[in-house]
Amino acid sequence: MTEIVERIGKTSMNATATFRDILFFAFTILARMFQKKTYSSATKMVLVNQIYFTSVQILPLFTAISIIFGSLLIGIVFQIIKNMGLAEYLGRILMGLVVTEVSPFVTVLLIALRSSSAINAEIAVMKVNKELHTLDTFNIDVIDYLFIPRVVNGIISVVLLSALFSILAMTSGMLFSKLIFGMSFDVYTNVLLNSADFYDIIMSLIKCCTLGFFITLIPIRSGLHASDDLTSIPVAVLHGMVDVFIAIVLIEVLSLILISI
Amino acid sequence: MLDKELSDFITKNKQNLGLVSLEAPLISNLDVWVNIALIKQYHENLPKKTAKSLALQYLQRYRMEHIADKRNSALTHDERFIVMLLRAAMVKDSLIVLDRPFMIIPDIQDDRFIYDALQIISDSFKECHTFDYTWFKDRYGIFNAEKN
Repeated sequence: MTEIVERIGKTSMNATATFRDILFFAFTILARMFQKKTYSSATKMVLVNQIYFTSVQILPLFTAISIIFGSLLIGIVFQIIKNMGLAEYLGRILMGLVVTEVSPFVTVLLIALRSSSAINAEIAVMKVNKELHTLDTFNIDVIDYLFIPRVVNGIISVVLLSALFSILAMTSGMLFSKLIFGMSFDVYTNVLLNSADFYDIIMSLIKCCTLGFFITLIPIRSGLHASDDLTSIPVAVLHGMVDVFIAIVLIEVLSLILISI
Repeated sequence: MLDKELSDFITKNKQNLGLVSLEAPLISNLDVWVNIALIKQYHENLPKKTAKSLALQYLQRYRMEHIADKRNSALTHDERFIVMLLRAAMVKDSLIVLDRPFMIIPDIQDDRFIYDALQIISDSFKECHTFDYTWFKDRYGIFNAEKN
C-alpha cells in the first residue's frame, strides 16, 4: 500500500516538475521572441526554411485532407441540422464547430505528427552529435538561432493552415448547402457572414497561437533532454510526443472552458 | 593534461575563438556554405546573399567551390578540415585553435597540408595555435617539445 502511495507521489512530483520546467522554458522563449536583436540574418534564414518545411511542403497533403475531411464533416453536420430542424442555427453551428474547434484541432494534429516529431529528433541528434556545443563554442545562442525560429514557425503555420482548413471546409459547405437545403451561394455566404462572431475568431486565433507555440516548444525541450547516447534519441522523441499530445488535450479543454464562460 | 590546457585556453579566449576540432563538428543539417556563412550572418547580421558569396570566395581559394552544397557526411577528411578552418576564420579577429588536427585528417603524415591551408587564408585570422600530443612532434618537425 505504502509503495503504491509512494509511486503515485513520485509520478505526481515528476509531472509537476515537468510542467514547471515547460512553463519556465516557455517564459524564456516568449521573452526572447519579442526582442528585435533575436532576429539576425541567420535566424531569419532558419525561420524561412522552417516555414517552408512546415507550411509549404505539407500543402498538397493538407489541402487534400481539408477537402475530404471538411466535406465529410460539413455533409454530416448539415444532415444532422436538417433532421433536427435547426436550420436557423446553421451559420452559428458552422462557425462554432469548424472555425473554433475542428480547424485548429486537425491542423495541430497534422503538424504535430509531421513537424513536432522532426523537431524533437533534430534537436536530440544535434545534442548527441555535440552540434549544440559547436554553436556555443562560436558564441551562437541556441535559443536565438535554433529555438525561436521553430517556435515562431509553429505559431505562424498553425494559424495559417487552420485558416486554410476553415476556408476549404466552408467552401465545400457551399455544395452541401445547395444539395441538402437548396441554399444559393449568396444566401449561404450571408448566413456565414452574419454568424461570424469577432469573439469566436479572436478565441480561435489565440487557441491556434497557443497550440503552435507548445507543439514546437515541447519537442525542443524534450530533444534537449537527450543524453550523449544515440539510444536516448528515440526515448526523447517518445517522451516529447506524449507531452505534445497531453498539451494539445489540455489546451483544447481549457479553450472549451474559456469559450463557454 | 592536453584537454585541461585546451579547455583553459578556450575559456580565456572565448570571445574571438575559432575552434577547429572534432569536439566542435560541422552542423550536419546545414550545407557547407551555410556552416561557413553562419558565423558572419549571426554575429555581423550579414545578409544571406553577401554571406553566401563570401563563403564561396573562401572555398574558391582552395578550389573547393563544388562542395558548397554538400553536407558534413558527404565530405572527405581534407574537405571537412578546410570547411572547419574556414568557419573558424569567419570569426572576427579570429584566434584559430587547431585541436589535434591529425584526428580530423588522419591520412596525412606531416603538417604540410595544414600549413599550406593556413597560408591560403593568412589574411583572415590574427593568430593560430595548435594543440596536439607530444608524440606527434615529428609530424610538426619539432624536436624539443616539452609539454604533453
